Amino acid sequence: MKEPRIGVFVCWCGTNIASVIDVEKVAEEIGTLPNVVISKTYKYMCSDPGQEIIMKEIKENNLNRVVVAACSPRIHELTFRKVLENSGINGYLFEMANIREQVSWVHKDKEEATKKAKALIVGAINKVSFHESLEKRFVDINPATLVIGGGIAGISAALQLADAGQKVFIVEKNENIGGHVANIDLMFPYLFSAKQLIEPKIQKVKNHENIELFLNTQIDEVSGYVGNFESFINNGNGTKKELKFGNIVLATGLKTYDPSGIPEYKYNELPDVITSYEFEKMLINGKIQTKTGKKPKNIVIIHCVGSRDEDIHTYCSRTCCMTALKYANQVRSALPKSNIFEAYSDMRAFGKGCEEFYTRSSKKNIMFLMFDQKDGKPEIREANKNDDCSMIVEMNEKLSGEQIEIPADMVILMTAMEAQNDVKDIGHAVGVSICGSSFFIEKHPKLDPIATTTDGVFVVGSCQAPKDIPDSITQAEAASARILSSISKGRVQVEVTTAEVNEEICCGCQTCIKVCPYTAISFDEEKNVSVVNEVLCKGCGTCGSACPTGAIKCRHFTDVQILSQIEGLLSKSLSTSTMEEK
Amino acid sequence: MSVRVNTELKEELKRFGVNEWNECFHCGSCTATCPLTEENHLFPRKAMRYVQMGLKKKVVTNVDPWLCYYCGDCTTTCPRDANPGEFMMSMRRYLTSVYDWTGLSKLFYTSKIWEFVFVILFALAVILSFILFGPAVDKTLTAQGGVKLNEFAPISIIEIGDWTMAVIVAFLLISNIFNMFYKIVLSDKKVKVPFISYFIEIRQLIIHYSTQSRLLKCKKNRSFWVGHWLLMTGYTIMFIVVVVYLPWFQTEEVHSFYHPQRLLGYYATFGILFGLSVAIIGRLRKKEEKFKFSHMSDWLFIIMLYLVTLSGILIHIFRINGMPMATYYSYVAHMAILVPMIMIEVPFSKWSHLAYRPFAIYFSRLRRAGIRKQNIKINQLATA
Repeated sequence: MKEPRIGVFVCWCGTNIASVIDVEKVAEEIGTLPNVVISKTYKYMCSDPGQEIIMKEIKENNLNRVVVAACSPRIHELTFRKVLENSGINGYLFEMANIREQVSWVHKDKEEATKKAKALIVGAINKVSFHESLEKRFVDINPATLVIGGGIAGISAALQLADAGQKVFIVEKNENIGGHVANIDLMFPYLFSAKQLIEPKIQKVKNHENIELFLNTQIDEVSGYVGNFESFINNGNGTKKELKFGNIVLATGLKTYDPSGIPEYKYNELPDVITSYEFEKMLINGKIQTKTGKKPKNIVIIHCVGSRDEDIHTYCSRTCCMTALKYANQVRSALPKSNIFEAYSDMRAFGKGCEEFYTRSSKKNIMFLMFDQKDGKPEIREANKNDDCSMIVEMNEKLSGEQIEIPADMVILMTAMEAQNDVKDIGHAVGVSICGSSFFIEKHPKLDPIATTTDGVFVVGSCQAPKDIPDSITQAEAASARILSSISKGRVQVEVTTAEVNEEICCGCQTCIKVCPYTAISFDEEKNVSVVNEVLCKGCGTCGSACPTGAIKCRHFTDVQILSQIEGLLSKSLSTSTMEEK
Repeated sequence: MSVRVNTELKEELKRFGVNEWNECFHCGSCTATCPLTEENHLFPRKAMRYVQMGLKKKVVTNVDPWLCYYCGDCTTTCPRDANPGEFMMSMRRYLTSVYDWTGLSKLFYTSKIWEFVFVILFALAVILSFILFGPAVDKTLTAQGGVKLNEFAPISIIEIGDWTMAVIVAFLLISNIFNMFYKIVLSDKKVKVPFISYFIEIRQLIIHYSTQSRLLKCKKNRSFWVGHWLLMTGYTIMFIVVVVYLPWFQTEEVHSFYHPQRLLGYYATFGILFGLSVAIIGRLRKKEEKFKFSHMSDWLFIIMLYLVTLSGILIHIFRINGMPMATYYSYVAHMAILVPMIMIEVPFSKWSHLAYRPFAIYFSRLRRAGIRKQNIKINQLATA
């Protein structure tokens, strides 16, 4: 190994760092350490002039390692790696000391903060001395895509990809595609026909030359990694077929909550208490009537059935409020003289055109009654003989504080959207975790909402969280754009700071296999050692710390690098009195 | 005990005034700005909710609309333009019709035609009775240029008419007040009013009738209070003088300007005209919230009282100037407007607020005393 020639660059970050830490003093003292060739400060290290300073110093002083003391590596590590690469040094011969989030933003005492900043920089200098050059790695992409689920989200993603000339496999467990949208009469807020939306898309999927559709089929297991997945699909009669593809779109959708578990609503007990799903069917068939064939005079629509409920689902199902308003509108048109009651918890009209829809609907003589699930749900009971209705809904109305009775001949329960029963199996097969509400977890809730922690697997539509039609389509088309971009590159870069097993030392205990969160480690029975799939490995380091024999080395975070960093942090060698005191 | 919602009440109430209250989304800004709302009387929001939901039982037993003196702050603060101030006004009209057991109040409030028919019928009855039973207007009545009003309209006969009218109106009004008392106080079985409170709280009834001090609690109503108080005292003086002291008031002899008979009459006339002018100008300018919307019944009341006063002034002018025929005609006209005004307005329409407002305060004080007694009992039970 060549003698390290380290350059240290301390950033002011305007006043963010410089107002708390004496950056000049830090740079001066750090400059006296062995192997540190140059130590400088600058107002904004990440700015173009800042980057130029680093490049200039690398060339003039023939530096081979660089430490930048600035903000979090989450923000600018890649920026500075690029600076090194542009100067002809491997980007991994770099280390960042976070003296903003970890020091200046959280400490007031200037002297103590300066001390801590120095310690962090010394640690970084020690670590970077042991850094090794790592080379970027790429894998080729199989341009075919597997879409799991043939609802509106799956169909939308498949059509985008297929229209772009790429092969798509759609695996649908039911006998039809179209999903829930195919069972909807009109759509909020503009009351367009859902059939007119979905039917042409279904036909297009069926006739598309690039789409291979597998109905009544489920996936068994998925192996491989981004660009090179393999899977067996199973159509129920035991016939298995192998598919190969480079990306996966998870679009398994939702199912509706079964309200029989809520005793207050007496679903299945009272004949005219029906779910929104059943009412939608009634609308498609064109006749709103009770079980005895009569026109209902009083229709009560109860919101949040299974949603926003501490005992069932705490989340909001997002579409039921507007669907309930749509029902009120449709009932008002079909039965102009009926009494319509909306028993709601909060009216959530956040989508485009939805608030306006709510405003229009509120002028249609619909009575809105508010309840709070925490104070108990509305309770449905059979009416007395002298009542002119068949049922009574009793509830605690929140805005008046009164216990009220609502006459009802038909009660529509706006049931929650919930995850499919088999999400765990599917999630396990493709390597995507599920959240507490059994929806698939995206990579980042804000910044990366359709990717997952498994590269090449995208999650779209209501299997990620309850969603309306436009949101599902938006996600599906966004995912297909991501997939097409990786297909057009032809190859994808994979993580290089991965773990590797020293087969000489590995004792075959398989501890690492148990702890790996990405199922990236397998066991080689012949050699009796663990093998890391470097494409699946994310370099989290869990296996490295669990390995009892020290056979696993995590690149860029090797034992010697970490230990020397710790040594640097606690070092007394720094020739200042402040470090002596520690 | 749960209350049944009702989709029709809202439609029924639309006929008593404006109907923007469905816009209300219950932010509570109105109640927060109201200078008069207090514990146990949270208005106007809560009453608006009762109406939106059609909780008829709650609406008809609600005393709150009478405790509101319509400064209009709620309406100016309302982010939804639901007009809570005018809502309370409409509620007062509705409640007047609810207290009235004859059903005539509802008829007058909701139908212009019926109200006019009754006004004209009463007026015709007055004119006809003068024509049929009045003395012939011959030379004896107009001789020597003197005005012999007491011969044209003998006090003994007019007094009989006065008292008959007073008894009928009092009977109707008192029975309506009792109905109001039943709805507000008695129908709530949970609240038991201590017997002594009925006497103690009468003080409040008198104070509020004579001062209308609640109006002063609304900043915007302070200047209005002057006109209203002058109108009320003027009207009350005139009423007492005409019904109780008619022989002292209606004299052939023209007293000097400083005679109490004339001074009282002038004060009453000035008070009524001043108060009416405030209302008329306000309702025409439509600047203040309380005057922006005028129901047909508001105008009818103002116009009738104005005409009564005007004809009264004419009688006076003609009489002191010794113009017999003109005096007699204006006397008939005066009666032909006064009688329908009293008969329709006092028990069935806007005028009834002179009784309902102070009684509402009285009843709410009774309820409060009942609730307080109950709380003491509950506390005693809790500590025991």
